[in-house]
Amino acid sequence: MPTHLERWLPRLFQLSLVLVLALGAWQCRHGWPVSTDLLELLPHAQGDSLQRRAQARIQEPMARQLIALVGARERELAVGQAKALGERMRASGLFERVQTDYSPDLSTVRAALLAGRIAMLPAAERRLLETAPAVYAARRAREAVDPFSSVGLVPLDQDWLGLARKIEAALRPGGKVQYDMASGTLQAEEDGRIWVLVRAEIHGDAFDSRSPQRIANLLLQADQELSRQQTRLLAAGGPIYADAGRRQAASESSLIGAGSILGIVLVILFVLRRWQALLAFAPVAIGLLFGSVACVAVFGHVHMLTLVVGISLIGFVVDFPMHWLGKSYGIADWQAWPVMRRVLPGLSISLATSLVGYLALAFTPFPALTQVAVFSTAGLLGAYACTVCQMPAWFSRGQPRPRPGLIRVAQVWLAVTQTLRDKPKWLATTCLAAGLLCVAGIARLDLRDDLRQWLSLPTSLLQQARQIGEITGFMPTSQFFLVRAQDDDTLLRRLAQLSTSLDQLKARQGVSSYLSLSQLAVPMAEQRHTQQRLAELATQDEPWQSFAQVGIPVAAIQAELSTLASLPPLSIDAVLAGPEAEPWRGLWLGHHEGQSASLVTLQGLRSTEPLAGIAAATAGVSLVDQNGDLNRMFTTTRVEAALLKLGSYILAALLLWATLGRHATWRILTVPLAATACTLGALGLLGQPLTLFSLFGLLLVSAIGVDYAIFMHEHVAGLQASLVGIMLAAACTLLSFGLLSFSSTPAIANFGLTVALGTVFCLCMAPWITLSPTRNPPHGSP
Amino acid sequence: MKKLICLALLLLPCLAHAFGLDELQTQLRATPIVRGHFVQQKFLRSLPQPLTSRGDFTLSQGQGLLWLLRSPFTQELRITPQGIAKRDELGHWQALPRQVGTGRETRIFLAVLAGDTHGLQENFDIALAGEASAWTMTMTPNSALLRQIFNAIVIQGGALVDRIELRETQGDRTVLELTDAQAASQLTIEETRAYAP
Repeated sequence: MPTHLERWLPRLFQLSLVLVLALGAWQCRHGWPVSTDLLELLPHAQGDSLQRRAQARIQEPMARQLIALVGARERELAVGQAKALGERMRASGLFERVQTDYSPDLSTVRAALLAGRIAMLPAAERRLLETAPAVYAARRAREAVDPFSSVGLVPLDQDWLGLARKIEAALRPGGKVQYDMASGTLQAEEDGRIWVLVRAEIHGDAFDSRSPQRIANLLLQADQELSRQQTRLLAAGGPIYADAGRRQAASESSLIGAGSILGIVLVILFVLRRWQALLAFAPVAIGLLFGSVACVAVFGHVHMLTLVVGISLIGFVVDFPMHWLGKSYGIADWQAWPVMRRVLPGLSISLATSLVGYLALAFTPFPALTQVAVFSTAGLLGAYACTVCQMPAWFSRGQPRPRPGLIRVAQVWLAVTQTLRDKPKWLATTCLAAGLLCVAGIARLDLRDDLRQWLSLPTSLLQQARQIGEITGFMPTSQFFLVRAQDDDTLLRRLAQLSTSLDQLKARQGVSSYLSLSQLAVPMAEQRHTQQRLAELATQDEPWQSFAQVGIPVAAIQAELSTLASLPPLSIDAVLAGPEAEPWRGLWLGHHEGQSASLVTLQGLRSTEPLAGIAAATAGVSLVDQNGDLNRMFTTTRVEAALLKLGSYILAALLLWATLGRHATWRILTVPLAATACTLGALGLLGQPLTLFSLFGLLLVSAIGVDYAIFMHEHVAGLQASLVGIMLAAACTLLSFGLLSFSSTPAIANFGLTVALGTVFCLCMAPWITLSPTRNPPHGSP
Repeated sequence: MKKLICLALLLLPCLAHAFGLDELQTQLRATPIVRGHFVQQKFLRSLPQPLTSRGDFTLSQGQGLLWLLRSPFTQELRITPQGIAKRDELGHWQALPRQVGTGRETRIFLAVLAGDTHGLQENFDIALAGEASAWTMTMTPNSALLRQIFNAIVIQGGALVDRIELRETQGDRTVLELTDAQAASQLTIEETRAYAP
């Protein structure tokens, strides 16, 4: 009969459930708090606030920008279709900005070029003009009469010396993308096609809105229509990747979720033969609810990837009711509350050790794993509460109907194990063979962590991105330089020094191009120096005789020199204000804590190797290598994870020691330790890398191993019943984690495979701990 | 005599047929090689005198233009669909760095001289007046950007192009006159060498 307390427990549980449900509903008041931003799951950038700002500056356009190329055999068709696509994108209202027409407002550009004639003059021209004005004049005079060189944006008589023209030429993006004056578009030629560029920027952030899906649909539709007219469409950008990631996560989580639920339903119905037993899903549902609510409460939202991994928790959480219901195999008159009382210590110790394992995840610098830890901890607690407080009330009448066949399976299993245990030679051979296999496997283990394991973009998208890179030459790299100095002039000098190194690298084809403010502006001190020199030159006649020779009066040149000498020097901000400075504008980080800072970005980098040396050669320059940093962080976290694992073992050992005693502790811990070793060996033999994720899988394996070992050690209602309970639990775990190993995201697949392998090993090892070499019949039978 | 009048009457409709762009193109392309002198004058609002340069040119269908500046100094240029090259002091051709737009500018220039009216129609609205022996082609840019640079290009000619005038938006003008143009059937050895890449 239920005790007084047991009558109250279900009510208590129901009350808390209502509270959590209400909290969950309140959290959803603005829509589902589910995020798909991958960047959010990655560790925050190391370094100071300026470096974080720099990274945000680099990442922001990646997440928001979209580049599309429309390619056709005929220029007119390509331009027409590109413009139509632009119109269509504009009309969709999904974009903040869609650009197909790059026609500059010439009067603004002219004014900016004229104002920046001193500040923006390329170094070589400046040197020539200052040191050899006559040579400069001779060259310029030739240009003035040459019908093919004299055309520029600024009319000849406003720019006799051609400074604006030189700047214009220097600022033009070399490379494959060319501005087409007739259509105003940017075009590139490749494979006999003319490709027209369409650039767009979405509202807000790609990873946090519903628009990526609509954008992807729009592009898909456009692609279908264009292909009918022999026109091709290539697209790349954050919004498209966000959509692909979301689609994949959604389809995977529903497929994996459905698969595991279906499998588990079948297993439960087969083993327990009661529809009622399906109530074992209640703890699962409660676990997911608690997990999500806790995640939203702590992080403000729950990430899609957390949900995918969290759903696999089903397989583990379902263990709780299984251990309890499985006892029907050992107790003829199975009664809900009394049996619960008997398995409660085992359940509680198992919960505690699992929590230790999961909570360990929270102490890694990976937001992804912290979320999983919070989700799992709350989920486990909820599931435990549901099992312990609510389930017995539901089963007060019905009983599971055991299958005698399964008891026999358990008996045979135990007998085989016992036989092996009693034959020291066999045992030694088996252990030796297993040990050797493990060592061989572990020796082959490939320690590898790569950001690419986190993403699995469809190959078609990757191919498009590569093609766009080939056609346009836009091949942004995740490495960039951060340059700082105490003032703007020093900053520009350092940038110029860095540019010298980068020019050398470019000459060796180590990088295809780079963007630096030093390409756009010189220090103000240098501007003033040039102006002094020009003022001197304005008083002289003879350097300018070449102009007279072609019919341009020297007085006109001298007047222009005086004008140039009195132009106000331009600051970085002023230089960046012009329309022609647009590509450089994002580089300038401004003033920050008494420092000026700017980025230098690279395109088409061949190898990251020379970058560190280049950065070290100039003061105030640091190389920011996001991927490299992340991969390095993966490695350090792996070490941390190994330590955490050790820590979780020690904690579990202490916990077990306190509750079950020293002898039991050693026996119980043998199971997860041996299972871990075997899993590592198996991963090695299978050629799977040992990633950070496998390590976290191993953490979970330890929790499962301890759980099984405790239940075998306690063997409430007999060894067979306990073994059946463990088999049932293992079947459910395998159904959920095993399915995860089919995920197309390598990191998740690796995680699933590790846990699945570990569970199998735990299941094989657990029966051993209760056996002794004597031929005593297993005790504790009913 | 009567026969002759009849023949003339028969031919009249053909002569009356408006002189069109296709005919002009055919006519200009009939001469594969043209040689002559040029005078280029740049009329700038700020200068009382135009900037003047003179020289010789050779235009070869499909190969491009040799532009030999003689005054105020010597400079040899080669303009081909691939770009512009300049002959340096040692006599080697040096390709001038390609800039955005210049590719198109040279294409336009070559198209004008070679009478490739189809190529020009991409960028210009073209009006043709006159007859085969004396025609005027007025080209107005059809893109907003080009209109910010010049108003029109006016080309006059007969069997060959005689005069090209570029009217810039800000009021400056460039006039290029091609004189003593002679059709030829063969390139000189020097010219052949110059066209060789």
